[in-house]
This record gives sequence, C-alpha cells and structure tokens, in this order.
Amino acid sequence: MTLRVLDPRQSAHGEALRMAPPLASLDGAVVGMIDNAKIGTERLFDFIEEILRKEYRIRECIRRRKPDASRPVPPPMLMEMRGADAILAATGD
Amino acid sequence: MSNLPQFASTVHEVTDAMEANELYQREGWTDGLPIVPPTEDAVARFLAAAELDAVAVIGVEPVRRRSITAEKVAIAAVMAGCLPEYLPVVVATVKAMCQPEYALHGSTASTGGSAPFIVVNGPVRLAIGMNATHNVLANASRANATIGRSIRLILLNVLGGIPGQLDRSTLGHPGKFTFCVAEDEEDSPWPPLSVERGVPAGVSAVTVLQVESPHQIMNEWTHDPKEILDTYAAAMRSNMLLYSIWEGNYAFVIPKQHREIFAAAGWTRQNIRDYVFEVARVKRGDWRLVGKAAVAGRKDEDKVYCALRSPEDLLVVAAGGPAGGFGAILPPWYGKKSLAVTMPVGA
Repeated sequence: MTLRVLDPRQSAHGEALRMAPPLASLDGAVVGMIDNAKIGTERLFDFIEEILRKEYRIRECIRRRKPDASRPVPPPMLMEMRGADAILAATGD
Repeated sequence: MSNLPQFASTVHEVTDAMEANELYQREGWTDGLPIVPPTEDAVARFLAAAELDAVAVIGVEPVRRRSITAEKVAIAAVMAGCLPEYLPVVVATVKAMCQPEYALHGSTASTGGSAPFIVVNGPVRLAIGMNATHNVLANASRANATIGRSIRLILLNVLGGIPGQLDRSTLGHPGKFTFCVAEDEEDSPWPPLSVERGVPAGVSAVTVLQVESPHQIMNEWTHDPKEILDTYAAAMRSNMLLYSIWEGNYAFVIPKQHREIFAAAGWTRQNIRDYVFEVARVKRGDWRLVGKAAVAGRKDEDKVYCALRSPEDLLVVAAGGPAGGFGAILPPWYGKKSLAVTMPVGA
C-alpha cells in the first residue's frame, strides 16, 4: 500500500531574485547604506564608511535610517538609493 | 475519497504513516514532534468541513507577499493532529495574523523569540472541546494543542520561518510549539474578550497577539482587587526592566480565584485596565538596578515609562483552573510594533 501525502511548503511566486553582478572596483563608487534603526548600526556604519573612503576610495555614501527596524524600507527611501552602485543593509543589535 | 480537489502541492509517495513522519522530519517540515500524514483524502476532508476551496487565499503576509492558501492551511492542520472541525479556527487565526498591524514578518523573524498567543471565544470553543480551565496554558485539550501547533507549522512551511533561517530567535520559548486557549466564558463575571473587542455576542472569534513567554504570578493572601493587581503590575514592571521597556499590548490570564475577588468588589475589565495603566510604570533610571546602566543614562533618567499606551492596551483573559491564586502576564514581543487582532471565525 502507498500513502500519497502532500508537500506542506509554499512555493515562492514570481520571478526568482538574482544577485547583482559584483563591482569590479569600489574606486569612485557611490555606496548606499540602509541603517535598520537598531542601536548599534550607526556606529557600525560610521566605521565601515571610514574604511570605504580611506581604503577603497569610494566617491560618495548615501546613508538613510529606516523609521522602524521591524518593517520594510519605505519605498521613497529605496528610491533615494537608485543612484547607488552598491547598497549595504545591516543590523546593529 | 472520490472527487479529490486539484491540489497544487507536490505529492510524495510513502509506504505508511511511519515513513511519512520520517520524510517530514528529515526534510525539516515539522517542529520536531511527529506528524499525522497529510494525505490527499485527509486534506480534502478538512477543506470540505470548512467549505473552503483548496485555492482560496486565506491571507497574504504583507512584507514578503506570500499567499497562504486554504490547501496549505489544511495540510498544516492535518499534520498538527487537528480534527476537521478545528480548521475554521485555524483559518481565522491566519487571517488575523496577516493583518498589517500584526507585523507577522517582523515578529516571526525577530531575535526576540516570541509566539502567537491565541484566545478563542464563542460557541466554537464548546463545539470542539477546547479547554479554558485546569492547566489552561499547557496540555489538556487536543483542540488547544493542535490549533496552536497548526499555526507554527504554517509559519515554518508556508512562510519559511525556519529556525536559523528566517526565524532568528535567540531563545524562543515553549509557546512556539503551541499557545492557544479558550476563554472561560461560562464562569466569568465579564463579557467575552471578543465581545469587548467588537465582535457580536454569540459569534465565535479568535484574538491573537505576539507575546514573550508568560510570567506566572501568585497572590492568595488578599481579597483587595488592587493588591491582586499590584502583583500582576509588578511582573509587568519586571518585564519592562529586564526585557523590554516599550509600551504595547499585554495580556493577563486571570484564574477563577482572582476573578471572584474582582467580581465581589464589582470590578469590571475596565476597572482593571484603568488601575493597571496607572501602576505599571517604571523610571528609566531603574535600569541601573538591573545591570543596564549603559543605556539608562542616554536620556532623562527621571522619565517615566508606562507599560500601556492607554488602558485599552491591556487584554484581560478569564481562564485557568478553579482553585489557586495563580495568574500570568503575557508581555508583547516588541512594544507596539505588533498589535493584537481579533477576527470572527468564518468571516
């Protein structure tokens, strides 16, 4: 006898997300930073920005702080990141 | 069963229930406890009992926009060990948790490790044999246990709330296996919680809130309602200092022995909420007493923080065994970021 049982998982819908191709260099790049509003993120990003500027010679940092750690980035804030070549998102728990 | 619905789910063939359980364990599709095999026949029976089409969308998780179909809810309910007549309660709970104010994604993914706490009101409690008395926060009823477990299996398999992946809980708590009670309406001096929250009397409903582990309190040494509530409020202040200071929906589970004290004094739920709103407060500087001096001084240490935004933030649930002055407070996951939602069954 065979039992036919159903898979409990929900498949994701829509087109699969893909990673953007890596940048050849950060030299002259614009880097976006989305702070998730946790207590330590600002300090972490200060540190990373300093490294990116000194050691990788990025041109600009666009830094924004989410209004709420537990909800998605508001669409207008994402639009502000359109000019970035790369974006960092971090949690600072 | 003939005339099976057209299921969207992949079918797996196994030799028997033991092999089905091993498959689901191996694949990480369960919470670690054994499952009832969700056969096509069983899932079809559950859907028929709730008069649901397999493809019906019960809710959409607002952040990742995952649709939760009736088919997947029924599969989880079968796996959890439900009877078909429990499914409408599971469905109502899923609908409630998909409301934006519930913050289902954030609360599921958080390191905070909270769990949905489900309170069931109305005729369905008695119809499906739910427990509202002895051992109410633990094992005593198949319906309580398996309705709550169904929700966990949905979070796991449908929303991807896999520990270490989307579920980032540092500790979690035992309520994440299952956390579902009925209110003891027949032995309560107050209207049902659902009626107080706007559902017509006689209509079954669920109220869900995302909570940390319950803090049990005990006071058998007074008949003064204020003194009783001072004990509950002390547990709230403890939570504010030791866990999270942020205001939000707290729930009290109040047993019969305490309810009788309130009833004798003529105290309504509103009286309880008003009193607790005034006394469940801490000063920021109190953090220094509990090892949190590093953050206490970042703002005015004389600032007073309330546990509740207003008295209405407190949910008072009548449940528990007939003897014993043991109650519980259930603290919110993360202040007001997730709010309690009440949903009629069958809506």
